[in-house]
Amino acid sequence: MGHIEFQHVTRRFENGHEALSDVSVAFDEGTMTFLTGHSGAGKSTFLKLLLAADIPTRGRVLVNGVNISAMTPSRLPRYRQHLGVVFQDHHLLAQRTVFDNVAMPLRVTGMREREVARRARASLSQVELLDKENLFPRHLSTGEQQRVGIARAVVTRPKILLADEPTGNLDPDLSINIMDLFARFNQIGTTVIVASHDVHLIESMGLRILHLELGRVVEDIPATVTPQPIAQAPEDQLAGASS
Amino acid sequence: MHFVSSRLGTSFLVWLVVGIALALPAGLWILQVNMDEMSAGWEGRPGLSIYFATDASPEDVELAVAALEGESLVDAVEVTTAEAALDEFKAYSGLGDALNLLEDNPLPTSLTARFTGNVSTEDLDALIQRAETLGGIAEVIVEKTWLERLHDLSLVVSRLGTVLAVLFGVGAVLVTASSVRLAIEGRLDELRVLKMVGATQGQIRRPFLYFGAIYGFGGGVIAAMLIAVTLVVIEPPLKSLLGSYSQELNLAGFDPIFLVAILGIGSLLGVVGAMIAVRQRLNHLEIV
Repeated sequence: MGHIEFQHVTRRFENGHEALSDVSVAFDEGTMTFLTGHSGAGKSTFLKLLLAADIPTRGRVLVNGVNISAMTPSRLPRYRQHLGVVFQDHHLLAQRTVFDNVAMPLRVTGMREREVARRARASLSQVELLDKENLFPRHLSTGEQQRVGIARAVVTRPKILLADEPTGNLDPDLSINIMDLFARFNQIGTTVIVASHDVHLIESMGLRILHLELGRVVEDIPATVTPQPIAQAPEDQLAGASS
Repeated sequence: MHFVSSRLGTSFLVWLVVGIALALPAGLWILQVNMDEMSAGWEGRPGLSIYFATDASPEDVELAVAALEGESLVDAVEVTTAEAALDEFKAYSGLGDALNLLEDNPLPTSLTARFTGNVSTEDLDALIQRAETLGGIAEVIVEKTWLERLHDLSLVVSRLGTVLAVLFGVGAVLVTASSVRLAIEGRLDELRVLKMVGATQGQIRRPFLYFGAIYGFGGGVIAAMLIAVTLVVIEPPLKSLLGSYSQELNLAGFDPIFLVAILGIGSLLGVVGAMIAVRQRLNHLEIV
């Protein structure tokens, strides 16, 4: 799972506003792509459709050939267990420790607690927050909270990683760190799609860019660099990577 | 359990409301069971009293005694002569001197028939009709009307209990539903994240169904306690009342089966309430 295809996808809301208009685009497995555009361009709707949190008014969203918009509610959890999602405002649970936040996606799969602990700590190690596993999110800086969100997103070793404005609240240095993290996960085979309006940072990375305007793909800039796969990655260091 | 323990005050109020809702119909059910027990106990015991006309002859009395002794329902017949009745009346009324002034004895001869065992209402009716055809008889009195009243009262209590059970059952479900809904609202962020990371509907719903069951079970415990306290409070006057009818107090219905039933019904109503809340709130929960 990792190949994504939008086929003539339109999403029109009840008030008549079209967030996406006849979008057709494909993402090969193991690629990393940036979605750019102003607020209201359709970036978040694009990611919501991929998360199956919304369904298109017209068209199909295919993931490895499966139309996820037509999935029955009972099959959606299984699909979502193969996704990693990062939001601008983290969506961390304030009442739970950093460790418990990261462990949550593993626990819903029914994994044994020992394995949950091993993988959650590996994921925290990957974002350099292992020493803060017992703290609560409110004790962390914004950048650290975002890294916890990333650790949670990659702890299940998802095939697809989606990020919606993950650097929106961060300073430039932290933004570069976060993007580097995504690039590292991409280098071990994860399909990564990042919605961002940080044009300068995106352009500097030389990866594929899809530019959206008023719900349409107005520009598809191919990658100028070829991702270098990480060879012989120790499993624990790449807990978030595709296995 | 964390949600319940962290809101013990609110949870206790929910238990109390559900408990009262369960206690009222359950208490009426116990009342009805005991009334049925009492009427069953009394059914074979009414005495049939026959009052003769003051001008009835001794032959009329003898014929009536013979006729009643020939009835299969009758165990024993006791005759009270007019003189004996007057002496008895003088003794307990304290009007002896006044009664001595009367020229004639105003009291009739009477007889009392005691039945062999259980007597149905139909058999009693037939016996009365036969007794009324005997000569010299002024009036036949039985305790049937008492039984009928008790029976009717038991029916009223039974139907009232059914109506209250439905109304208060719905009330218990709604109270639990709104409490569980409150629990859901308090955990929406967590539920959204759970849904996002791939938790199944069952995983998301299950804790709230447990909430409902805990609320319902707690309500059942409160209901059982309320009924137990009520029984303790009404026991002395009830004992006194039954004593006046030569009955012993032997409360039925409040037994282990009743306790298991009320706890089970409470839990079930709680789960139903939780299911309503979950269906209303979680079916269309948006992830982001």
